[in-house]
Amino acid sequence: MATEADHLTGCTACRHELDTLRTVAGLGAESQEVRDLPPPPERIWQRVEADLAGAPAAVVAPAERRRRPRWLVPVLAAAAAAVLAVAGTVAVDRWLHRAPAETVAARATLSPLPTVPATAGGSVRVLSAGQMRVEVRNLPLTTGFHEVWLIDPDDPTRMVAVGNLSDRPDAVLTVPPGVDLNRYRLVDVSDEPHDGDAAHSGRSLLRGTLTS
Amino acid sequence: MADATRMGKKGASIRCPRSEWNRERLPGRRLTITDDELAERLRAGDEKALRTAYERHGAAVLYLAQRLLGNRADAEDVTQLTFVAAWSGRDSFDPQRGTILGWLLGIARRKAIDRIRSAVRDDRVARSIGAQVAPADQPELPERIVDRLVVADELGRLPAEQRRTLELAFFDDLTHPQIAAVTGLPLGTVKSHIRRGLANLRRRWEVDGAASRSRSAGSSRAL
Repeated sequence: MATEADHLTGCTACRHELDTLRTVAGLGAESQEVRDLPPPPERIWQRVEADLAGAPAAVVAPAERRRRPRWLVPVLAAAAAAVLAVAGTVAVDRWLHRAPAETVAARATLSPLPTVPATAGGSVRVLSAGQMRVEVRNLPLTTGFHEVWLIDPDDPTRMVAVGNLSDRPDAVLTVPPGVDLNRYRLVDVSDEPHDGDAAHSGRSLLRGTLTS
Repeated sequence: MADATRMGKKGASIRCPRSEWNRERLPGRRLTITDDELAERLRAGDEKALRTAYERHGAAVLYLAQRLLGNRADAEDVTQLTFVAAWSGRDSFDPQRGTILGWLLGIARRKAIDRIRSAVRDDRVARSIGAQVAPADQPELPERIVDRLVVADELGRLPAEQRRTLELAFFDDLTHPQIAAVTGLPLGTVKSHIRRGLANLRRRWEVDGAASRSRSAGSSRAL
């Protein structure tokens, strides 16, 4: 113990480190009072909404942008460019330079969730024929199987199971007819145990949002 | 809770640093939208994302405003202004520089301070405002309140066992052996949960808390 104290007296770096951890622990202890704050009242949100609706020019453009692109409807190039401009140069680039052979209605890049190795990833292309080409790499091994879902990000309890990847890095799955991809636009790849339960296991591995 | 624990074991080794603050909470089977996904939708102009942000962080914003302004009506005004400003300034949110909560609290803090200043300028209730901002018996800096909210948020995002262990240490003031006895975890595990948990809180604090404040004030000052 004496040596630790001696060391701290002499070592600025360790002293600073210890001070920082003490501060954080102090904040942690204080955080109890803000752990269970009551939900904010609905009336404040209503005022926010009223402000957004009533705001002039500044909010008109965002309101336009809010409208989701209709991927499933063929779009004229000029109109598409206007919509895509806000989605960023990358998207525009992809749109203009995509291979003409296969008509891609929407695509998504799949990124690993924090608990998944960072080298895992993949991509999804929704073909206009209602099929979905899913490519994945470096998924963690599973004793069950990997399943592909389409989730409504506005209400993540709503989701559609599209199919499983059955150990192939590249699968073409059929999007169930009638599924609104403007709504179910979050692609999710999960690790499912063979437990006979058709619901999502809660263990998401990859996610990505479909964009045109 | 069971799911979160299983997930923790499964993906034990590597973590994507960019998504460090987006660790998933999985209450039962309801899937959670990550901070990254929320930010992406907000920047894309999806108003529902703002609503989600309000549901998640409105309470913290209101709490901060109330603590700074000392009265409920002003605090609600500032909360409203904060979310309206967040919407119109959503392009300025940079996930590399902090989380959505940190960004919102930064806006709220500036809005609250602007309001205090203008009230003082008006000389309307200068004296009472002064008293509210820094009550003589318990002066508290805005930074400390923000830090507390950020740390509380991060504590809520820790893996279940890590969080439980830290809560027992922080809130119940238990020693490591006592925590081991209460939770049934081996002492070594308790110690490593506390070490890792503190490291997580510290990282988040350094991203969103006092340490980052001078840096993050720059670009979003316009809000």
